[in-house]
Amino acid sequence: MTEHVQKEIISIISEVSGLDEGEITTDKDFFRDLEIDSIKAIEITVAIEKKFGVSVRDEDVPKITTVKEAVELVNNLLIQKT
Amino acid sequence: MSQTDNNLYDAIIIGAGMSGLVCGCYLAQAGMKVLIAEQHHKPGGYCSTFKRKGFTFDAAAHSFGSYREGGNFKTVVNELGLDHRIAIRRYDPADIVVTPNHRISFWNDWGKTIRELQLAFPHELKTKEFISFMADPKPADIAALRNQTFKEVLDRYFTDDKIKTILFCQLFGNGGLPPSLMSAFTGSKIFTEFVVDGGYYPDGGMQALPDTFAQRFTEFGGTLLLSSSVAIITEDRNKVSGVVLKNGTAIRSRCVISNCDARQTYFSLLKGYSLNNRFAEKLNSMKPSLSMFIAYLGIDEFFDALPQPGSTLWFLPHYNIEQMYLSAQNEYETDLSKYLLRVSPSGNTILAMANTSFKNKEYWDKNKQLLLKNFITIIEQTTVPNLSKHLRYQEAASPYTLHSYTLNYQGAAYGWESIKQQFLDPDFRKPTFIDGLYLTGHWTTYAQGLAGVVYLGYDLAKSIIRKDKTARA
Repeated sequence: MTEHVQKEIISIISEVSGLDEGEITTDKDFFRDLEIDSIKAIEITVAIEKKFGVSVRDEDVPKITTVKEAVELVNNLLIQKT
Repeated sequence: MSQTDNNLYDAIIIGAGMSGLVCGCYLAQAGMKVLIAEQHHKPGGYCSTFKRKGFTFDAAAHSFGSYREGGNFKTVVNELGLDHRIAIRRYDPADIVVTPNHRISFWNDWGKTIRELQLAFPHELKTKEFISFMADPKPADIAALRNQTFKEVLDRYFTDDKIKTILFCQLFGNGGLPPSLMSAFTGSKIFTEFVVDGGYYPDGGMQALPDTFAQRFTEFGGTLLLSSSVAIITEDRNKVSGVVLKNGTAIRSRCVISNCDARQTYFSLLKGYSLNNRFAEKLNSMKPSLSMFIAYLGIDEFFDALPQPGSTLWFLPHYNIEQMYLSAQNEYETDLSKYLLRVSPSGNTILAMANTSFKNKEYWDKNKQLLLKNFITIIEQTTVPNLSKHLRYQEAASPYTLHSYTLNYQGAAYGWESIKQQFLDPDFRKPTFIDGLYLTGHWTTYAQGLAGVVYLGYDLAKSIIRKDKTARA
């Protein structure tokens, strides 16, 4: 599951940021390394929620700052869902 | 070169509003062959200036924000090498909010503003906390606001409706929505970029901005066609192929960027294309933002009752912004009791604006001059006594006037209304169903004012350049 989630999240970030998927590795910081600003951060959050049919709690949004963190968060939400 | 080569571009931009100009500059700077076609005889759209009887008036946009070091506007100006070409000054206070019981100035030094607010509202303990959050929000903290309204944010920090109204007033003026309908994200963006970092103005008037960008665009090798309306965007099997101008000239490009309103883009410019029903229905159900009634007043001399030139005064007759919004939406009447007033830095012209709905041409033909007279009386009675004695020129723009100069749908002042349901819709920026078509400007569901449209033009150009590089590699 993790691998699939990771692939989808990288694809979302690539779509929103315009960066190549190859540039988006799991430990890169959204804001420092990937030039993701507040508008893109919200686009990514909304796209993740739509894609996986989950809803990220407001207090968890600030925790999504790397691909790795996003994958963990989505995995947990998917487990809770089932 | 053959005629065909002359009419082949790497990108065509429809509309020389600030977003189109910024986007065009970046694309041309990157070496692309770019054409901007603008229907009006000068660039700028809402960000322009006109002259009447020796007076120079800003047409609609009258100051801007996001010009601090690191602000989006500043970054764009620096990256395009324009920092020494436009003299931009910041006026202090940037804004003054006048209500029945208070007169609060919004200073460039926020410590000063916070002290002023604390003195007026000593029982509110989170004023500083609120301003700190608005002044420097982290992207992720802002993303957490995606499902909230700005009312929820204000309610978390404050209890007194008066301070909530005073802090929200400029958000209503720059976004056209009351707290209960404005998305918390949009509201906090407006607060950060317009209120905390507002009050900038270019020497010579707002036209200096589009003029300087347009000049830079041509220096980078771009072609700017003024008084050139685009009739259609051509496409072939869901890929754009160019545009045809109203004079019949066909221009080819695989990339067309529309800086005009979304209804015009999809319903008139793409009229040969069969838009899928779901999208057409969505577009038909989208609600435009409020428009404006604007008074342009020329005065004989600066006098004491006026606010300091360059500072924007906001007058509120009461504290109920929800009510002001409902009354601005009225289809039959025009409520001018809540307004913005500003003396231009040149000191001899005044701009006064009040939000109102579009109505129709007949209504404005019949009522415009009377409304202008009433507006002047209201201003005299509430903030500037003896105004009429100093008037040497007076004219008004109705929502219909705004529409006829810029073609903005219903003369909307801020593109689509920034309500939650109409917020960050990717189909209004880069539709998935037509390859090579992009939108930029305040009709994308992403933008807030000048700072917003400048960001969008910049962001779109960066993404097109990146894709172009990948495609060539």
